[in-house]
Amino acid sequence: MAGMASDGTQYDPRQFDTKMNAILGEEGEETFYTNYDEVCDSFDAMELQPDLLRGIYAYGFEKPSAIQQRGIIPFCKGLDVIQQAQSGTGKTATFCSGVLQQLDISLVQCQALVLAPTRELAQQIEKVMRALGDYLGVKAQACVGGTSVREDQRVLQSGVHVVVGTPGRVFDLLRRQSLRADAIKMFVLDEADEMLSRGFKDQIYDIFQLLPSKVQVGVFSATMPPEALEITRKFMNKPVRILVKRDELTLEGIKQFYVNVDKEEWKLETLCDLYETLAITQSVIFVNTRRKVDWLTDKMRSRDHTVSATHGDMDQNTRDIIMREFRSGSSRVLITTDLLARGIDVQQVSLVINFDLPTQPENYLHRIGRSGRFGRKGVAINFMTSEDERMMADIQRFYNVVVEELPSNVADLL
Amino acid sequence: MTIECVNPEGLRFNQMKSSSHQTLETRMRPILMKGHERPLTFLRYNRNGDLLFSCAKDHTPTVWFADNGERLGTYRGHSGAVWCCDISRDSSRLITGSADQTAKLWDVKSGKELFTFKFGAPARSVDFSVGDHLAVITTDHFVGTSSAIHVKRIAEDPEDQVGDSVLVLQSPDGKKKINRAVWGPLNQTIVSGGEDAAIRIWDAETGKLLKQSDEEVGHKEAITSLCKAADDSHFLTGSHDKTAKLWDMRTLTLIKTYTTVVPVNAVAMSPLLNHVVLGGGQDASAVTTTDHRAGKFEAKFYDTILQEEIGGVKGHFGPINALAFSPDGKSFSSGGEDGYVRLHHFDSNYFNIKI
Repeated sequence: MAGMASDGTQYDPRQFDTKMNAILGEEGEETFYTNYDEVCDSFDAMELQPDLLRGIYAYGFEKPSAIQQRGIIPFCKGLDVIQQAQSGTGKTATFCSGVLQQLDISLVQCQALVLAPTRELAQQIEKVMRALGDYLGVKAQACVGGTSVREDQRVLQSGVHVVVGTPGRVFDLLRRQSLRADAIKMFVLDEADEMLSRGFKDQIYDIFQLLPSKVQVGVFSATMPPEALEITRKFMNKPVRILVKRDELTLEGIKQFYVNVDKEEWKLETLCDLYETLAITQSVIFVNTRRKVDWLTDKMRSRDHTVSATHGDMDQNTRDIIMREFRSGSSRVLITTDLLARGIDVQQVSLVINFDLPTQPENYLHRIGRSGRFGRKGVAINFMTSEDERMMADIQRFYNVVVEELPSNVADLL
Repeated sequence: MTIECVNPEGLRFNQMKSSSHQTLETRMRPILMKGHERPLTFLRYNRNGDLLFSCAKDHTPTVWFADNGERLGTYRGHSGAVWCCDISRDSSRLITGSADQTAKLWDVKSGKELFTFKFGAPARSVDFSVGDHLAVITTDHFVGTSSAIHVKRIAEDPEDQVGDSVLVLQSPDGKKKINRAVWGPLNQTIVSGGEDAAIRIWDAETGKLLKQSDEEVGHKEAITSLCKAADDSHFLTGSHDKTAKLWDMRTLTLIKTYTTVVPVNAVAMSPLLNHVVLGGGQDASAVTTTDHRAGKFEAKFYDTILQEEIGGVKGHFGPINALAFSPDGKSFSSGGEDGYVRLHHFDSNYFNIKI
């Protein structure tokens, strides 16, 4: 029936585009957004303060990426910004630079609040913030669940410039007034569409209510569905927007394949067949539920395959150890849920396996974006049962990408 | 602490061109060295060839056993990406240049930091002189500071080390990085190359510019890397113009040009055979947004004399940023944007390649 949404899948490009056009408005029409066209092809040309420049070059950056060329300056000017860019192309450094440029270092009070959906991601952002802000003398603190509240309170008491946190912990600290909001002038949402989704939206709203009324807002993500954009209207003021079209989001540098496993119970055999390939560099295997992470981990280990696993039900200390081991390369195969689909940047990950296809369109893009980070090619392999064929076709159409059958020489691609 | 090494199935090293149409296939089994958490920037063997030193953007230069790739240790102290290093002839001293605006001297064995040279700009390239009494260090331009070449005296006793420069050479274009500067024969000259695509030979005593590469035959784009022949008679440069060029060290006459299809980030010369190796790949910023096959992250081998490509070694999934031959010419290492060091020991077929 014409106009009827597809059933059984959310990968509906026509519906997506219709909603997006309604929000963005027609060309030339008066809109909610600010136009901003300046592009700077070197960090030197951005008029950043010298100690921030020192931090940027010390980090090893030499030239700004596309999003950095367009995105750093409007943020530095205090404008609200919506910035979308493909996975692994430099969004974190963009908002970290924007925050750091505007800090008053002599005022040791929280001036910027950055929120991320997972503890691992918040800790990663805090590390980048500290590195880029090293010469400025920035004090940054990650405030995330599962860690000591008392420790967070102690650090906040001694004074910080930037807090990077997860919503639950941050709200708790604000409510207790351990984190004072009166000097906060910048509010950043990383993985913003996730932060504005059903799971986090209320917490974000509660936090926003506690911030000063004139706070600058920046929202960043590789995916920006119309639902998320709609919500940003409620708390942003004529933002500068940098958006990427739905069908241009996927990274050509990540080669995507499918394996037709036919039946759910044959996925495990297929994964074991691929194991030697998995362990050559580093791989992430995504499944859809926490219980399945545990199940798959047990099965792989019972077949003498060395794997690590993490998901949201595990205690924080264990999650931290596993993440550290994976980052350093001492563990090579990591089984997880969409907990790690977003933002996580591990240098040597070159292969992502979707043991289960994701149920949300955006998460497909985020998952495969764990490989193919800046400067590195990647490979993604999708396990497809007969029931998944429809979804696989929808993903290809939605993101305008070709997913080929897995060749026998996949090891040569890594 | 030792990091386990991985020995995946060997990669093909095949002869892609041959006047006799002979196809020679061999398998080298690279050792993948894990330890760096960010892109590699530089690789260097010590004089004896038993140690391999690697630098990366993760602040932590690392030393490995060059036969089996086991990690021996790390040098902790820099707070920025490390761009370059050099090792003294007796393998007792390491010098590192870093984006944290310092160059540091280290005791190789203990990992102890001996001295820090402070600059007002990122330190890019470092090279000990013959005899290890001097070091040449290049610095980038930075807010009000032009790029420059500094000559430092290296004290035998670390207690006597001072930071003063014996000589400072200013770049003609102060806003272009000097990516590499090395000592010329008998420490009488310094050879430099950088973003302005010019190669220069300077008098190491007076600082006078003696020679500059001919624009007509020289590189057209930034020079990224430079490698000297063991006898200092000639040197090889790599460039973003997709070529590497072989030059006479004294006269700065162009001897040979090796052409490839992607920017060249690293070059190396075999001390044993007439082979040169080029490594690179498309610009790191374009890797993820262009087709998977566009990367071309192979180390390419060329016959030095005939300028013909004789084979390639695949394996990296990001651009190659560093290459080095072991002093005995029987192995080579590559470092990539992917964070891996790959160590390849040639098998006997490599030494029997016929053109």
